[in-house]
This record gives sequence, C-alpha cells and structure tokens, in this order.
Amino acid sequence: MKKIFQVALGILAAIGGFVDIGDLVFNVQAGAKLGYQLLWVVVVGVVGIIVYSEMCGRVAAVSKRPVFDAIRERLGFGVGLGALFSSQVVNLMTLAAEVGGVALVLQLLSGLPYRALIVLGIAALAVVIWVSPFDWIERIFGYGGLALLVFAVAAIKLHPNWGDVAYGFVPHVDTPDKLVYAYFAVGLLGAAMTPYEVYFYSSGVVEEGWTPKDLGLNRANSMIGYGLGGFLSFALMITAGALFLPLGVEPELIGTVALGAQVPLGQIGLLLALVGILFAVGGAAIDTCFSGAYNVAQYFGWEWGKYRRPSGAPRFTIAWIVLLALALLVIMSGIDPVMLTEYAVIFSVVALPLTYIPILLVANDRAYMGRYVNGRLANTFGLIYLVVILVVAVSAIPLMILSHQGQG
Amino acid sequence: MTDLDLGLGLLDHQLLDSEGRRCGNVDDLELEGIGEGEPRVTAILSGPPVWRGRGRLGRLASWIASGSTVRVPWEEVERIEAAVHLRKTCRELRLGRGDDRARPWIERIPGS
Repeated sequence: MKKIFQVALGILAAIGGFVDIGDLVFNVQAGAKLGYQLLWVVVVGVVGIIVYSEMCGRVAAVSKRPVFDAIRERLGFGVGLGALFSSQVVNLMTLAAEVGGVALVLQLLSGLPYRALIVLGIAALAVVIWVSPFDWIERIFGYGGLALLVFAVAAIKLHPNWGDVAYGFVPHVDTPDKLVYAYFAVGLLGAAMTPYEVYFYSSGVVEEGWTPKDLGLNRANSMIGYGLGGFLSFALMITAGALFLPLGVEPELIGTVALGAQVPLGQIGLLLALVGILFAVGGAAIDTCFSGAYNVAQYFGWEWGKYRRPSGAPRFTIAWIVLLALALLVIMSGIDPVMLTEYAVIFSVVALPLTYIPILLVANDRAYMGRYVNGRLANTFGLIYLVVILVVAVSAIPLMILSHQGQG
Repeated sequence: MTDLDLGLGLLDHQLLDSEGRRCGNVDDLELEGIGEGEPRVTAILSGPPVWRGRGRLGRLASWIASGSTVRVPWEEVERIEAAVHLRKTCRELRLGRGDDRARPWIERIPGS
C-alpha cells in the first residue's frame, strides 16, 4: 500500500513537472493561431517523450550511466564535445527563459519591478537547490505545477465545439498558410521532446538510486506521468483555441496565458493559473540548470549529483552556480522570455538527434544492458521516432525563417 | 575476459575508483606490441593533455583546459562494466584532482 502511494506521488510530480515555458508558449500560440488542429501533434510528441524517457530511465537504472555518458561513449570525444556545446547553449537559453517567466509571474502577483524580481527569483531558486534534497525539489514544484489543471476546467467552461476538438486529433490541415502550420507542428514536437527532460530524468534515476527492480516504476512514471502531463498541453491548446482564436488575440505575454483561466473562472482561475505557471516554470528552471551541470560533469567524468552534497561534487556544484549566474546575465539584458523560448525550442529540435541516437544504440547494447536491452516494441517506436526527429531537425530552422516564426 | 571492443566498450567510459567515486574518463589508451601483431592495452590515460590526440576539437579543448595526464596501469583495472572499476582510490591513483582543487571553494559556503 505504501509502495502504491509512493508511486502515485511520483507520478503526480511527473504530471505537474511536464509543462515548461516551451509547452506554455507553443501550445497556447498554436491554439490561438490554428485552433485545435494541431492537437494530434501533441499526441505524437508525448508518445515520443514516453518512448525515449522510458529508454533513458531503463539504461540509467540498469547501468548507472545517464544520457551524457552514453553520448560521449557513442559519439566519441569530438562529436560528443559538439553535442555538449550545443546542448549547453540550448540549456542556457531555456534556463534564462524560464527565469524570465518566473519573474513575469511574480510581477503579475506582486506588482514589483521586473528586474528586481529576476534577481529575487534566481536567489530563491539557488536557495531551494542548495537546501532541499533532490526528491523534495521534484515534489515541491511538481505538486505546485498541478495547479495548471485549472486550464482543464477552463477549457470545459469555455464550451468549445467538442466535435472540432475531436477532429483536432486526426491529422489534417485546415489553413491556407501551410508554413505556419508546419512551424507550430515542429515547435510542439520540440517542446514535448526537449532533450533536457531526458538529461534530467536519467540523471534523476541515478540520484534516486534506482535499480532494475525499479523498472516498473520507470515505466509508470514515463507512461502515466508524461501521458497525463500531455493532458495539460491539450487543456492549454483548447483553452487558447476556444478563447483567443475567435477574438484574434495573439498571446505574446505570459500574463495572456493566465487570462485563459481568468475569463471563464474569474479571480480564483487567474490565481491558480499564475501559481501553476510559477511552479511549472520554476521547476523547469531547476531542471534545466541541473541538466547543464549534469551534462558537463558527465562528459568530463567529474563527480556529480545532489546526493553527493555540494562539497562531494565540487565542480558539478560550481557548474550549476555558473549556469544560474549566466542565465541572470542573459535575462537581465531585457530579452523577451517568450521570444527566447521560441528560439530555444527550435534550436533544441536541431540537437535532438545527437541526444537520441546514442541512447537508442546503448539501449540495444547487450554488454551494457544485459537482459534489459530494448524489446521489439521499444525499438520499433525508437526507430520511427528517430525518423521523425531527423525530419524535424532538418526542417526546424528553415521553417522558422520561412514562416517568420509562425507569423506567416 | 571475453571479447571487448576497445572503441565502444572502453574508450570514453567513466572511471570509478575503489570507493565508487567518479574520477575522470578513459580519454585514451596506451597500447603496446602493435608492430608485433599482438597489441595489448598497457594503461588507461586520462586528463586534458591526452585530448590532443582526439581530433581537431580535442586539440582545441586540450589547449583551453589545464591539467596533467594521469596514467593508470592496466593492472589497476578491477573490472569493466558500463564503467571502468579501478582497484585503488582516486587519491592513490592521482585521479579526480580537479574536484579536490575546487572543493575548498565550495566548502566556504555554509551547508556544503
């Protein structure tokens, strides 16, 4: 019974932790611009992250080797270093955007100046990271992020045409501007499958000391946690499609996203939406910050992990402190967090193959995985998604340019 | 030992000392007897200067980073799984010194 309870708690945290600023921006903008017709892409993206997070979690539980160990082993020093560099750039952009999102929400809640709240937000994140054990960090932000479920209520209250919503799960194009459609499709895939999620998830498996005994937990976390997390993405897109599309509103601000809950539900809706966004984005800031530190430590073979305490993994500790400081510089420059998010998601799509190819190879290596190598199901899905990832990676930047970042 | 692909199963893998501490990667290997037709690994090499032999980016990284080469004789390898397990502590093998150098800085912060 206790075990079931623990599993349920972990899954709840995974649901709340699924959404980050990339999902917020792309789901809401896609809904506002194209209605429900891209809901099917969210399904494709969520299944993709389930397939690869399960694989990464299994590799980490069996071999104790997280994703970036596999990247260096399979790509070698040079290409691996390229993968490290590109993933760190994307991580930093995402981290800065998430911090900007935290500050914007705090501003809406408190009315204090934006730049002061950036500094306050970063300081608060640093303190939380320093004092809380790993599982607490995941739980605090995961549970807080569940407040985003207010968007599910909002979506229902807005009385969307459910026939149209259902049709959104069937791939179809119902817009003259095919490039905008394709750009948002690529962005939604990128937001759902951002590589930092698997860097963080697989390192978390080692942090929490999972063994092959926990493979059931790994499967439950990735399938149910990410699966239901995708449900939040649907809610965001349906809310935006029902509210913003008819009004012709283009949500360029984080506050506009929260309006989606305020219009149908009033003050309490707004408050829950802001709290949900705050925790979801704040948690994602910590995830990206740690991912950056994990990656560099794993690439160079340094000691790493929250479970080692700061002095037990000194270079890892310095790495996340430096990343937070760099994010502070980037976001203090006044760059718009929403725009930064779009660039971060699109660039992360380009780096996707460098992350997922080595994982697929390692998960098939018997010397590494013993009897826990990929089965036929994992390999079939793994290969299908590899093709999807390659197509998306090649087309992401051209689409961003040709569609003027989805502006048409 | 069964067959081991040196490129896939050893190079670039994590080094773990006898206490399970992560202490660098297998950056290169020292081989002997290549000309005689019976090559064998005599040591594992780790550290920034070794990267010079790892392609163009390796040379660049080696030029930027500081540190010295550590040679771990093959006899010190206990077993090879996904990581390379060593028989001695990293201090005895002079590995992981970058972390030792950085530690005093972190220890100044309360609660470290």
